[in-house]
Amino acid sequence: MSDTTHSTPAAVSGPRSARLLPYLLSLPALLVCVGILVPFVTAAYYSLQRYKLSMPQRRGFIWFDQYWNFFNDADFWHTVYVSMLYTVSTVGVELLLGLGIALLLRERSKVNNAASVALLLPLMTAPAIAALMWKLMTNPGFGVLSWVISLFGVTDFKWASAPSSAMFTVVLVDVWVYTPFIMILLLAGLRSLPTQPFEAAKLDGVPAHFVFFRITLPMLMPYMVTATLFRLLDSIQQFDIVYAMTQGGPGDSLLLFQVSAYLDFFQYTNVGRSAALMMILWAITYALSNVFIKQWLKLRERTHGAH
Amino acid sequence: MARIDGTGSPIPRILRAIALVVVLVFFLFPILWIFLMSFQTNETILAIPPSLAFTPTLINYTSLISGHLQTAAGSLDLPFMHNLFNSVLLSSVSVLVSLVLGVPAAYAFARFRFRLGEDIAFTLLSFRFAPPLLVLLPLSLYFKDLGLANTYTGLIWVYQLICLPLILWIVRGYFEDASPDVEYAYRVDGHSWWRAFTRIAIPLAGPGIAAAGLLAFIFAWNNFVFALILASADKQPVTVGALAFVTASGIQYGQIAAAIVLSIMPTLALALYAQRWLVEGLSLGAVKG
Amino acid sequence: MNGLDIHGLRVAFGRNELLKGIDLTVAPGETLVLFGPSGCGKTVLLRAIAGLEPAARANVRIAGRDVSTLGPESRGLGMAFQNFALYPHMTARENIASPLQARNVTPADIETRVNEVAALLRITHVLGHSPKELSNGQKQRTALARALVGKPKVLLLDDPLRNVDAKLRYEMRLELPRLLRAAGAATIYVSQDYREAMGLADRVAILLDGHIAQLAPPEEIYDAPNSVKVARLFGDPPINLLPCRPVAGPRGVAVSAAGWQINLAVERGAAGRSCLLGIRPEAIALSQSEQPGAARAQLIATTPLHERLVVLLRAATGEEVVASVLGAVPPPGSAVWLMADTTHALLFDAESGARIPAVAQMVEHAA
Repeated sequence: MSDTTHSTPAAVSGPRSARLLPYLLSLPALLVCVGILVPFVTAAYYSLQRYKLSMPQRRGFIWFDQYWNFFNDADFWHTVYVSMLYTVSTVGVELLLGLGIALLLRERSKVNNAASVALLLPLMTAPAIAALMWKLMTNPGFGVLSWVISLFGVTDFKWASAPSSAMFTVVLVDVWVYTPFIMILLLAGLRSLPTQPFEAAKLDGVPAHFVFFRITLPMLMPYMVTATLFRLLDSIQQFDIVYAMTQGGPGDSLLLFQVSAYLDFFQYTNVGRSAALMMILWAITYALSNVFIKQWLKLRERTHGAH
Repeated sequence: MARIDGTGSPIPRILRAIALVVVLVFFLFPILWIFLMSFQTNETILAIPPSLAFTPTLINYTSLISGHLQTAAGSLDLPFMHNLFNSVLLSSVSVLVSLVLGVPAAYAFARFRFRLGEDIAFTLLSFRFAPPLLVLLPLSLYFKDLGLANTYTGLIWVYQLICLPLILWIVRGYFEDASPDVEYAYRVDGHSWWRAFTRIAIPLAGPGIAAAGLLAFIFAWNNFVFALILASADKQPVTVGALAFVTASGIQYGQIAAAIVLSIMPTLALALYAQRWLVEGLSLGAVKG
Repeated sequence: MNGLDIHGLRVAFGRNELLKGIDLTVAPGETLVLFGPSGCGKTVLLRAIAGLEPAARANVRIAGRDVSTLGPESRGLGMAFQNFALYPHMTARENIASPLQARNVTPADIETRVNEVAALLRITHVLGHSPKELSNGQKQRTALARALVGKPKVLLLDDPLRNVDAKLRYEMRLELPRLLRAAGAATIYVSQDYREAMGLADRVAILLDGHIAQLAPPEEIYDAPNSVKVARLFGDPPINLLPCRPVAGPRGVAVSAAGWQINLAVERGAAGRSCLLGIRPEAIALSQSEQPGAARAQLIATTPLHERLVVLLRAATGEEVVASVLGAVPPPGSAVWLMADTTHALLFDAESGARIPAVAQMVEHAA
């Protein structure tokens, strides 16, 4: 039998154009990819150069000196510290708060559903605009929040205009905008959990805290991990809120990675340092996003069924 | 689902109600406050303590819409309506371009298992998480050379970075969920691939495509950093425009509040309309609400 | 060749070669049932014939025309899918009209032909409904109508009765032969139910391990499967396979298994080798009193299957035997005697699985 089939070369199935079809369809998306990869490679190239727009004659290759210099650069370590502080505080608070609200709204009722939709509104507000809103509310002259805390006897709290409270203020805005993100993902997760383990626990009279730590939390873990990684990735790159609120100030108190790189580029025209800073941030987010994508794919498979 | 904790006794129920009110106040008060502020004159805004008893005025909106503001110090030009127009143009054209590019690609990735497809899909996904400035700063130099700096075309091109991954991954999920047999049946009936795609695949994935488009619109609208770096005043959307407006007009708080309300209204309205799909969009299609 | 002619059809997904060179020929008006365990590639084979499987390599000719390099839309065949694959956003009428629309038939002709085929399948009253509003049976008939309406030369039916309930399945089994004869197409019908194959097939192709293991009329496959695997697959409840070591007998070999002493008119080469004796459950009868040639056994359990009873027994020699009988049986635990209709007994080589060929003519000479 195999002899006969080998003697006649079997034709391909279907027209040749059908084999090219998937490539043809994805060509535009591929071009967009390439179009983004070009500036990416350029950034990597710039990061190896001494390159200031204001001093084009001094431009030259310095290989990894920019990166080595970071080791002894207090400003760089300050940026790392501020970024980490910002990331850990925003994501930490948002995770706890989001989980709490999701548990609060877990039951499907009209009130809870309406509340969960209403809570999405901050998330749908542009973060830059949200920062402006809070700027108006914390204005020392007429801001309603300044007035509220003055009722409690606090009169010298300067919100974003003082180095000591600037971090608190932008974290507050970030929490206001992004807690709903974690909340809505965890709520969807909670509501999709199978009911049997909970019913069994109820029948057995298992105490509530045991149910929470031994059943709810472990089952919710994939959602929590995905939501947290998602937020970590966004938060470590925060720019909009901080830039709209204080442009990185006062002083150097809010020089997060991207804000710092932006100022390096536009204020000090130091293209090389800016690019090196972005490459380091990219390396961090690349590592994080690899972990994230694995978790995200697991959730996706659960939603769409294995393919 | 039956509640596990807090059965019977009213105290947990009351505590939950209080917690819910606190949460709602924290998250909704800023929007409400700015909304109220936009109907006040500067005098009532600056009054201490703040009062809810004020005569609403439309002056902030009329001056924004007319583009001129008469103050004691003189006349001030407000280009805000042009920012609003830019936002509408940039967001809607970006989404349209993204749909034209993304839907066929999403279909290809869902229906044909091929290496290049997965590579593109995941590269675009990882771009979603790469720092935007990494690409934007070199791009701002390139755009100057290419004549794309401060053009709608250039901005719309960069906006694909936001819209395309979203549309690609959400729509791909919808194509994957639809049985390919229905399209196969249509092909066997004698219809070309293109007709099967347009008459069967797209209508069946219609809700997903619409949802992805709406969400991409919201995210494009809310974007700040792309236009901040690549556009000058006349091409800037509301997010950048509002910030410039604050710097320019300084103390016109009523107008600022009105500008903020006009800036966030479209996305909030769309979000309420598309709430069913928000979870899916926010998780890039990994979780369904 | 006028019908369907497939030559050297191969499908490989990466290193996993699912179909390893299939040759099949189906004449116009003939129904070939493609039979095999789930996952053996029956559906993939149909899709490859239709031009829907990009991983397929094959020479396919329909009515003499080489369609190997054509897309599915140009092959001119009709196909019904296991999950019906109706277009959910179109009415039943639009669904059925689809193949005609693709061929630019005039609206008046479409109307006439859709009504004709709908009347044939008795779904005229639901033509205006959308698939959501149809019962499973109506969906099934709509899908069949869509496959038939274009009067295709080749008809591919992928287990169309899989997802309909038992009553409807019988109704369709009675109706289908008439419909298929009227269509006059070369038909490949995928099935996992051997009764369906017995009722519909002119020939059955058994698909196993990527090859056609046997291609023959259904009765021949049932009576003379060419291997243990085919024998086990084709029949329900499955055939009893009893280990044995035949010795040379007067007209072939003599076998002793489960307490039976059976003479089989098969080639003597089997003597002394490790073999499997195959006896269909339908070929075993039960008796409550001792009979000549009967084997002693204990009745363990029974379960009804259609009009028959399936009985699980343990022979006195220890083997488990399944019988399918008509009429009442004693309660579990009873001692019974088993009589085997040895004219249909089969002998397989235990090692290769091949059936030991019969020596029919020699038997006649001896008689």
